[in-house]
Formats: sequence, C-alpha cells, structure tokens
Amino acid sequence: MAITVIPRGDVPLGQEHEFFKFVCPPTFGGGPVDAQPATIKFARKLDVMADLPLPAGVKTYNGGNSLRLWLIADPNDSSSNGATFPAKTIRTKKGDVVWVDTGFSFNTHTIHWHGIEPTPMNDGVGHTSFEVSGNFTYQFATNTAGTYIYHCHKNTVLHFIMGLYGLFVVDPPQGPKFAAANAPGAFGFDPVNFSVPIDVEAAWVPGEFDSIWNDLGHNAFMQKCDQNDPAGAGTFTQNGFLNRFRPDIVHITGVVSVPGNPITDPRVSVAAKTNQNILVRLVHAGYTVQEYTLGLDATVIGEDGHPLGVPPFDKYSFPFVIPANTPFRLTSARRYDLLLNSPNAGVFPFQVKFMDWINGTVYQTAQTTVTVV
Amino acid sequence: MKRRDFVKVGLAGMSAVVVGSMEIPPLFRCVARAANLAFDMSFTEALVEMIDKTQVYHWLFSADAGFATTGPSLPGPTIIATYGDKITINFTNNLPQPHGFRIVGTSIGTGVIPNVNKAPANKFTLTFTAPPPGTYLYIDPFYEPVNRILGLHGAFISLPKGGNTPYGGKTTPNVQQLFNDLGSTPQFPGDPWLPPPANRSLIWLFHQVDPWFNARAQAGIFINPDTLKAKFLPRYFLISGKTGAFASDVPNISIVGNIGEPHLIRILNAGLANHSPHLHANHFYVLSKNLVVQNNVLNIDTFTVGPLDTVDWLVPMIRPPDIPGLKSTPLRQLIPHELTTVLYTLQSPLMYPMHCHMEMSQTAAGGNYPQGLITHMIFTGDVDKVPFPV
Ligand SMILES: [Cu+2]
Ligand SMILES: [Cu+2]
Repeated sequence: MAITVIPRGDVPLGQEHEFFKFVCPPTFGGGPVDAQPATIKFARKLDVMADLPLPAGVKTYNGGNSLRLWLIADPNDSSSNGATFPAKTIRTKKGDVVWVDTGFSFNTHTIHWHGIEPTPMNDGVGHTSFEVSGNFTYQFATNTAGTYIYHCHKNTVLHFIMGLYGLFVVDPPQGPKFAAANAPGAFGFDPVNFSVPIDVEAAWVPGEFDSIWNDLGHNAFMQKCDQNDPAGAGTFTQNGFLNRFRPDIVHITGVVSVPGNPITDPRVSVAAKTNQNILVRLVHAGYTVQEYTLGLDATVIGEDGHPLGVPPFDKYSFPFVIPANTPFRLTSARRYDLLLNSPNAGVFPFQVKFMDWINGTVYQTAQTTVTVV
Repeated sequence: MKRRDFVKVGLAGMSAVVVGSMEIPPLFRCVARAANLAFDMSFTEALVEMIDKTQVYHWLFSADAGFATTGPSLPGPTIIATYGDKITINFTNNLPQPHGFRIVGTSIGTGVIPNVNKAPANKFTLTFTAPPPGTYLYIDPFYEPVNRILGLHGAFISLPKGGNTPYGGKTTPNVQQLFNDLGSTPQFPGDPWLPPPANRSLIWLFHQVDPWFNARAQAGIFINPDTLKAKFLPRYFLISGKTGAFASDVPNISIVGNIGEPHLIRILNAGLANHSPHLHANHFYVLSKNLVVQNNVLNIDTFTVGPLDTVDWLVPMIRPPDIPGLKSTPLRQLIPHELTTVLYTLQSPLMYPMHCHMEMSQTAAGGNYPQGLITHMIFTGDVDKVPFPV
C-alpha cells in the first residue's frame, strides 16, 4: 500500500505578494514616516567591515589570526571610522522621541530595535516592511527605562552573529546615574519614583562566533526571488549550513576570551567599592545556551527592558535574587539587569559557559571578575 | 480579517486577487471536543512535505473516530478536555515497532503497545480523568527521545471549569490580578481575555526535523537514543507543523485581532533544541511554565522554551507602546501615511513577527532565511475596533 503523503500545500490564493515579500523584501528610503518632533537624534551606518585581531592562543577554523566582522558605525564619530564591536551604545531617556538616521555603505540592511515597540515601518524587519537602501530615518519613542539591543534583521542568522549589533539603554527620568527598580532593600531606593542610584554601571554582552560563518557573504544561502512562484521547490537553496552553529571563538562585550585566562579588560571586568550599587546589564548576544555563575548575590531588577514590580505594567512581577555561585541560564537576546552591592572587599568571579543549543556540549568557558575594594 | 483581503496593488507578473469576507477559524486544528470524550487514535507512518517540498518520513499519530478532522498529522491531533472529564482513548498500533502514549508531567499513559504483527494484541484502551487545567505535551515515551522526535507527539489541553483565567481556581494571585485588570484598567484598554470558545487562544508546538534520522527509520534501521541526542542536526524548525511564510498568516497560529484583544498562547517544545521565542510589538506575560502557574509574572519580550517544556503566555495586544504621539489619538489618525503605504503589500493591517532568536531556527534546509520557526502578530484595527484602512 502506498504511504500517505501530507502535502505542504500551495501559496494561498491572494497571498502571492505576501509570500514574495517574505523571501525578497522591497527596498525603501527616506522617513521618518508620520513624523513626530524628535527630542533626540542619532546616526548609524551599516555595514563597516573590520578584522578583529585575535589574542594569542585563539585562531579561526583555518588558523587565521583575525576574524572578519560586519559592524554598525557612528558616522559622526571620527575615531576608527566610528565602528566598534559591539556598536556604540545608544542612550536615551524614558519619554524621548528618537530619530536614528540610518545609512548604508552598500547592499541593504535594516535595524531592529529589539524590545522597543514601534510601528512596523520602524521595526526594522524586511519582510513586514522593507530593507533600507540609501538612507532611512527610523522613529520611535522610548517609553520604558531599561536594557535593549539594536541589530540588523536581514538574513539575521548571519548578520546578527557577524557583529551587527549594539546596546541600547533607556534611562529613567532621574538620569543615567539611576535605574528604574522596585527594590526596597537597595541602598538609596526611592519608593515614590521607583528608582535606585547607580554608582558603577557595567555591560556583559557574551556572544560567540563560528569562524567558518565569517567567510560568508551577505546573502549567503538565501532563497531565490521568483515572483511567479515565491515558494517553488526550485527557489530553495539546499547547500547551506546556517542550521549548524559550532562556535570556536567566544567573547564578552567584544573582548575575545582566551581559554583559561579571565578577561581583565576594563570594558568587561568591574571595579567598585564596598557598599556601592553596581548595575550590570547582562545581554545574551549569541546562539548558545549560556550558563552564568557569579560570586556575588545578584538582584534581578529588570528583564528585557521592563523593570520588575514597577507600576502599573509590572505590578504582577517583583525583583528576585540569584544567590552567589548559583548557576543560571539565558538564551539568545534575553536581558537581565543585575543589581549588585557587596559589603565585603574581594575579587568575585563571573563565569559564562557556552553550551550547544541542542546537545548541551560546552564549547568554551569565559571568565571575568568583579573587584570590590 | 486577512491581509489577503487588502492585496490590491499588483506586482509585475503577478495577478492580484481579492478574496471575500471574514473567515472565522475553528478553535484548533483537530479537536476532540465532541459530545463524548471517547475516541480512537492510531500509530501510523506518512511522508510529510517540508517547506521546500522535501518529503520526510515520519511516525505519526492519526486521529480516527471521534475527531472533527481525521487522519495522520504532524503534530498529532490536539486533544481538548475540561478538568475532571472522563476520557477514553482506543489506541491501535499499525506500525512494525512497539509504541506508546504518555502525557508529560502526569502519570497518564499506556504501557508498551505491541506492533502490528501481534494483532489483535496491538490495541490498548486508556481511560483517565483530565488533569488540572494547563498545557500538556503528549508523546510516545519509548526509546526516548527517538519516538517523539520522529513525529509522535501532540498537545493536550485541560480547560478550567470556570473563572476568567486559563487555570480556574488553580491560579496565583498575580495571574488572577493580571486577568482581572485586562480590559478594566488604564494600562489594558479594550477587552478582557475571552476564554474558549472565543478565538483568543493559540497553540504553538515547536519541533525540529533532522531528515537523516527519519530516513534511517524509513529504512527500518534501529536508532540509538544516545546517537540521536548527540548527533541531531535539524534542517527544519516547525511551529505547529508549519514553517516560514506558510506559518505566518494562518488561522490558529498567527495572532490576529484589534488592539485590546488579549490572546493566550500555549507553547510546547517536542524537540531537542532550546528555543528563544521573541515577540515584536508587545512584551508578553509568562503565566505558567511546565504546569506551574507563576507567582512572579514576568513581562518580557524573549523567553526560553527548552525540550519538553510547556509555557503559557498572555499577549496583551496593547497598542505597540513606543509609537510616538498622543495615546488618545487612534492609530488610523496618528500614522495615516504608514497605513496607506504599499510595499508589495499594503502596510495595513500592522504586521509583526514572532520568531525564535536562536536564529539557526530561522532557516530551512540550511538557509532560506526566514523560512523557519516564525509566525506573525497582526493588528487589524484600533482599540475601538474600527478597522485599519483597506
Ligand atoms: Cu525584537
Ligand atoms: Cu532581536
């Protein structure tokens, strides 16, 4: 007896345009669309190619001493083309109306403001709006204080991990030396405005590379554009390997980790005094399951840009404590705002295990420290 | 209302089609919510066409007598019951290996059901009482994880007898507060959540397919569970059996509604990957994880759904909160240019993705971004239910 076949089905009648847009988004420029007066403006440019020098003891899959990256630059910053990895942090205040003039050196890209929630044309997703060629001014408000990221959303599997991302911070009305929080036990907690003063701020943005991927081109393994049959079997590439991620190089906030050596770079390691409030923005910027262990108690005061327990939207939640030396895990693009405060001097380790997203194989472990004097 | 209703402006070489009126989807794909809760299921095999039309051999549950829709499916038929219901399932194993059935997180299940060559011993009748309200994964637990990875899994939903949450009396104060506030507080203008039979509940069943292993099963080769766990390299990443464009604007997967129409999303992961589903345009509330209704109801944009996990989200469908301008001005007046812009399709209604951020899952057959684990949230009108322009 012949075996049953469960067919995929054809493109539903009337959805041909939508299916075609899904595979081959249109391009567009200009903006802002439906403009509102900006209270703050930025400029960003994609993409700047750069070679990240690798420290002694770290090599690419074919023995190379540097790694090709694609970066987002600040065109108004003359130092080193304005390109850094991760991209320069964008910082706004709660309530701002933000314009970001986004330019493109070649090819098309988008920027998605991950966790910020504007209209589709400002959301930076090609297949629900467009990819930018030339210039486009994105417009959105930043109405909730917390930690976000911005990243390219074209062939995202590749463009994100190639380095096209940066941190995006929304400060509370009190300014950048404060964090929105409902943390009654914290030093300096303001129960009226729900904020805590911050003495030391740090960002841990752990990520990985599979260096074989870093040799690929922008449109690697994308589907062919066929207006007449956008889902035709012949339009699908079959020789790609973007389902296979085997990281061989890991970093925290752009500083490549040398196995066995804790990262001492001041962009990553944290220095504070006893009884100071330390805010660490922990952002998962990779494709592994990351398991973290920190030698200090950490209070999670915010998650994914939303402060826990701050009315009215978050009255259903509350901050929680991760006890010292208790492992915890995040997956891609999740963010924790960690509030630390140590009464004791000491050097407290922070460790990230990078584990395969399917079988849990530990690829590498990176370390840094919080030094309290 | 469907986006296809609005597609009017042609693209060279394509015919523009306008399809008729609003279509109300059934609550779920295959529903056992018939007059009686006795029904038949069997273990069978089929070739399932992936998005690139590659046919992949699977072991599947087939919905037989008692279901609204019958036949084998990936995932298996959704079973919906009410807490305390008496349920009888008559199983028949039509495959040449032994199989079985278990509801994960409960003691409900069969023993080993002998293979088809042992007929009539290849039958098993399971009778049980529907467990407390929640989202359950059912699987074939044998040769774990081989049988479920090859396709033998589905969703079992237990509904509460009453109340305004998905959990009846088995809720927590914070979840109860959230549901009390929907539609009755300034932060949630619009409707409360409407329990079934209203179409405000969706099931997203995540699964991954590595055709190499399926081909071995088709050839009758025994698959060692440890080998599968170590070597699994999926090429297709499914949400309720579909991927990519075929999963993005479809009833029962896509979130479709006006601003202020909160939706419950029941997420299950039958595979081996750790997913990181991310929703654009709204932070969601995590109501329940692995049958534990949450005390701390996080309001976040990305969450981890690991192997065998079940997670419930409440998507409030508030107006995307970072659109600049007066909140009292309806979007149809605030963003008229965007709503009338045509970029292959009209930008109205407002469409956003939900996708897994472990971006390997956005591929199919090793590339073809974004034909993987993705769907859309589609806002069709303002909070006063006036539709966006068509
Ligand atoms: Cu996002
Ligand atoms: Cu993102």
